[in-house]
Amino acid sequence: MRGVETVIETRALTKKFGERAAVNGVDLTVGAGVAFGFLGPNGAGKTTMIRTLLGLTQPTSGEVALLGLPQPTKRAEALARVGAIVEEPRFHPHLTGRQNLKIVAAARDRAAEARIGESLERVGLAQRADDRVKTYSLGMRQRLGIARCLLADPALLILDEPMNGLDPAGILEMRRLIRAFVDEGRTVLLSSHLLDEVEKTCDQVAIVDEGRVIVQGAVGEIAARGEPTVLVEVDDVAAARRVLDGRDIEEEGSGGLRVKLGDGVTAAELNRLLVEAGLAVSRLEPARATLEETFLEITSRLEEHG
Amino acid sequence: MRLINAEVLKISKRRPLMIWCLLLTVGVIAVVEIVLTVLHGVNPDHHGPAGGASNFRGAAETLALLGTVVAILIGATAGSQDVANGVFRDLVVTGRSRKTLFLVRLPGAMLVLLPMLGVAFVVAVVWGLLFAGHDPTPSGSLIGHELVYVLVFTLVNLVMAVGFAAFVSSRIVIGVLIAWNTAIAHILIAFHTLGGARKFVDVAAAEHFIPGSSGDRVAMSTGAALLVLVVWAAAFTTAGRWWTQRRDA
Repeated sequence: MRGVETVIETRALTKKFGERAAVNGVDLTVGAGVAFGFLGPNGAGKTTMIRTLLGLTQPTSGEVALLGLPQPTKRAEALARVGAIVEEPRFHPHLTGRQNLKIVAAARDRAAEARIGESLERVGLAQRADDRVKTYSLGMRQRLGIARCLLADPALLILDEPMNGLDPAGILEMRRLIRAFVDEGRTVLLSSHLLDEVEKTCDQVAIVDEGRVIVQGAVGEIAARGEPTVLVEVDDVAAARRVLDGRDIEEEGSGGLRVKLGDGVTAAELNRLLVEAGLAVSRLEPARATLEETFLEITSRLEEHG
Repeated sequence: MRLINAEVLKISKRRPLMIWCLLLTVGVIAVVEIVLTVLHGVNPDHHGPAGGASNFRGAAETLALLGTVVAILIGATAGSQDVANGVFRDLVVTGRSRKTLFLVRLPGAMLVLLPMLGVAFVVAVVWGLLFAGHDPTPSGSLIGHELVYVLVFTLVNLVMAVGFAAFVSSRIVIGVLIAWNTAIAHILIAFHTLGGARKFVDVAAAEHFIPGSSGDRVAMSTGAALLVLVVWAAAFTTAGRWWTQRRDA
């Protein structure tokens, strides 16, 4: 299993509930040693996709390979090196954190039990490990869920909306943990509807909507697919708006404008238009495209075509 | 074995369940024996000895009845708790087969039930032997027969409860199985018009193992009674295992 270059590979993966396809012919490739974001709005099919990958629900058709091993034929072998949190992490509330880990460790190999202590340390729960889980906050449960994943010494972690319910400090801590896992050579697939989080945490991303992967690739590359945008600061914003009438313009908080250039128009041409109109341009710079903009652009394009 | 220990841990750490189960087995038998001993001590003319064969039979059959309730409580918990607590999917993603995850619940539940039954039965035996007074003490054969009856009745219900709870994924089976054992099955057995069909009622088959013929309301051979109980246990186990393997986790 070591040295596998592709940790998740699906071909035409489909999961239907009646006539409705929650996962619709998905071809997904996730390379090793990256944080991969599975990004989409609520109801896009992210969780169903994860459940199908893990064999929690049977696919209607298509193929899945985890860690290079075809599923479901080599299921046990693959899942022995996979840790996953699906939906919110759940536990036996009457048991302590340590006892809950002991139960899952019993289902794994003998080495898993020896990892309980270090896993609890790693997520900062060693002090509360002997308290009942029903006394834990959602953030602590998320961390205990990560500790449970670590029992497998996973080559692949699959985390479904891991930032849900976390406070800002918790989100930061979770992001650090995920990046640390990647630095150790593990692969992390995380699903999220929080674009900002995926952008900050992940190296690669797949944008999903209505059960289909719309686009996948490096975060930077996908973000750059958005329409070129420039930030403009002029002495008379209202006049600039009149000059650029018909273009997609948003006002920036600082008194500047964010202008989408549109097809074939360059920043230099925009500058010329403003200067010829007698405006003093004090700033003109390309805006860094965010994943959010690209995502919204892609999904709104889909809506238009739908 | 580690998975079975994990099942024992999950059940035995449920404090309210364990308290009720201990009360219904060891607690009830101990209290009854103590009350009988006190009554005999206070007024031996009106109250016979607390022990002896007759009182032992009463205690053992009480244990069979209450032990069945306890078996249903423990079995239903074992069969449904992983799904009810949302932990089943976390066990499935370890790669362990669902069949194994289901089957380990049976010995796990038995390991919780049997010590309670054992202690309660020993209490009944000790009282039967030590406090017999002038009454005959329970024979080895009677003790053995009662033990078989208690084990057969409770273990069959435990297995049924595990399978049924896994099948319906709910502890509602507690009410259903208790109602079946205490009322519905007895009503069916009382319907003589059902004739030989009553042999297929598990309670009728279990009654065959009550020492003596008093409880055997539907005549059948030991082999037939055993077969009926095995079929009931197997049917519920198969249903629970089938659904555990098939369900979305």
